[in-house]
Amino acid sequence: MFSEATEMPWLWAGLAAYALAAFYAFRGIAQQRVLAAGTRSYEGLVLLFMVCGVVLLAVSLGVRWVRIGHGPFVNLFELLVSQLFSLGTIYTLVYWRLPLLRPGAIVSLPIIWVLGLWVLMIEPKDAPFPPTYYNDWLWAHVGFGKIFLAFSMVGSGLAGVILLRWIGWFASWLRHLPADDVLDRYAWRFMVLALVFDSLMLIAGAVWAQDAWGRFWSWDALETSAFLTWLALGGAIHARLAWNVPIRLGAAFILIIFVVAFMTYFSTPFISEAVHKGVI
Amino acid sequence: MIVFRKLLSSTRLTIVGMALLAVGSSLIYGNPAEVPVWVLVAPLSVLAVNLVAAIATNPRINRRPGLLMFHIGLLAVVVLVGVGRLTHYEAHVEMVDGQQFTIDDAIDVKSGPFHSGNLDQVQFAQGPFTVDYQPMLVRGSTRSHIRVRNEKGEWQARVIGDDTPLVIDGYRFYTTFNKGFTPVLTWLPDAGAPVTGTVNMPSYPLFDFKQSNSWTPVGGREIKFWLQLDTGLRQDAAWTLDVRRTGSVLVVNDGDRRVELKPGDETVLDGGRLRYEQLRQWMGYKIFFDPTLRWLFLASILGVIGLASHYWRTFTAVHAATDKITALNSASSAALTNKG
Ligand code: HEM
Repeated sequence: MFSEATEMPWLWAGLAAYALAAFYAFRGIAQQRVLAAGTRSYEGLVLLFMVCGVVLLAVSLGVRWVRIGHGPFVNLFELLVSQLFSLGTIYTLVYWRLPLLRPGAIVSLPIIWVLGLWVLMIEPKDAPFPPTYYNDWLWAHVGFGKIFLAFSMVGSGLAGVILLRWIGWFASWLRHLPADDVLDRYAWRFMVLALVFDSLMLIAGAVWAQDAWGRFWSWDALETSAFLTWLALGGAIHARLAWNVPIRLGAAFILIIFVVAFMTYFSTPFISEAVHKGVI
Repeated sequence: MIVFRKLLSSTRLTIVGMALLAVGSSLIYGNPAEVPVWVLVAPLSVLAVNLVAAIATNPRINRRPGLLMFHIGLLAVVVLVGVGRLTHYEAHVEMVDGQQFTIDDAIDVKSGPFHSGNLDQVQFAQGPFTVDYQPMLVRGSTRSHIRVRNEKGEWQARVIGDDTPLVIDGYRFYTTFNKGFTPVLTWLPDAGAPVTGTVNMPSYPLFDFKQSNSWTPVGGREIKFWLQLDTGLRQDAAWTLDVRRTGSVLVVNDGDRRVELKPGDETVLDGGRLRYEQLRQWMGYKIFFDPTLRWLFLASILGVIGLASHYWRTFTAVHAATDKITALNSASSAALTNKG
């Protein structure tokens, strides 16, 4: 019924909508410098384009799902598109509900766009669905993981603004945004929520691994990397309790944690041809 | 003494412990044989002692129910994993169609020093199985038909495979990629009683190209042979591994002589006759037993609930405080405006 040619234009249109959202986020911040602080009419446009992007990507994913008969869980292309969809969805909700955090869009939306550029470079091949992926725990594991990544991306967006302010040119650009300590507080709030969902992701993953491979944990590449992410997050939270960690250092740490989480998702599973494939 | 107690319960020690655990888990990555398990056990012990001391002495943790629950959950997970290592049992077993499981069939057994269980009472029998393959030999679903003896002594049919293990008395039997064919052979010696045996051939289709083996019947000499199979396997098409759709020829090498036997055929060898009875299949199972599994799940879930409730309380408290300040501010500015 459908072919690759059917789903790709929806994907491109979705990415274009995200790009427009990012463009308006930047333009809005730049204009705020000259207009009165608090002028935020651009935010409606950002929100509109984000919603469009999410809907268009949902159509692209849906069409592909019908075409190949399984969800976007198997190869890098599918993982990237589904993350573009879920990060976009969660970010849109946060953007809509928490106006104070909107400045973080100038960092978070480009992060989403890194995935967008990446996906354009990958062939949209389909891969066979491994038999162990029919397990219901897949949904819990993937769902919690998506919320975890999205929350740490929101935290990273705010941390990114804190760090950008350090650079002279951006400092005046970002002057009208909430103060560093406010951004810091919210960034860490999202990071601790990310820890909750990261923990749930690890638990659901362990239950699934027990069903699928007969062991709940075996320190394979993906498990080790995911554990280190969780530990880094817990470590950072404790470090902030034990010492008076400067805001910028904390912000840098958030970005490091996000990078580790990002690599866990998008490179570790594809570097090591793990048990996930189940060939022969 | 006080200094020591402070150190033991300090969150700085927690960070040191976490850093050591990060190093340990990077070292243990992929389970290399030469890395001792101490690289994990040592930092986990430091963290456990640290945590117990903190819970005992630090009101910042022991007066906050959610946070306390989370940390106790963490402690419980570490302890349970330790108990699991001491009591676990892991092994493999190759089950031929028609065979009943006995504990003596288990191979590659690894178990903790305190393992105890009823593996010797587990009763199930292997039936036929099929494995679907997509093009390029990508493995799909495995359906292994087995029969399980229930409490009433009746045999009940079940289908297991992939992420659906057979679970009896806490022992979990998982199908694996390791499976193949099994010729059933009978040796009819010139003098004495016939002997029937089975020989599990190398894993199929992994070792499609080297299906050779040998059999030494009790009282007989070694017979070398290879199995010529017609399974319908094609790289470029979907295909199902199924003994019922498989043709076979047993090729026996008897010195310079080469004999081809179809199921039911026999040949005369030195000292007796060899009959190729029929072709069956064997399935390789992984056996896994860990009595802590459900407790681990419970402890970790309770821990996360604790963490979530801790943050729920913290955030709503902060909100309430912010609302209060905002209300106070607007009240005072209203008062100022009125005055003005
Ligand atoms: C194993 C040794 C550990 C000890 C002794 C310990 C101790 C503590 C203490 C005393 C607090 C309260 C501190 C305060 O509010 O000033 C705390 C908070 C916390 N700990 Fe731990 N902890 C340990 C491990 C962990 C681990 C492994 C994690 C997660 C990866 C973790 C996550 C947290 C979180 C999220 C908080 C709450 C911080 C907040 O309220 O913002 N802890 N811990």
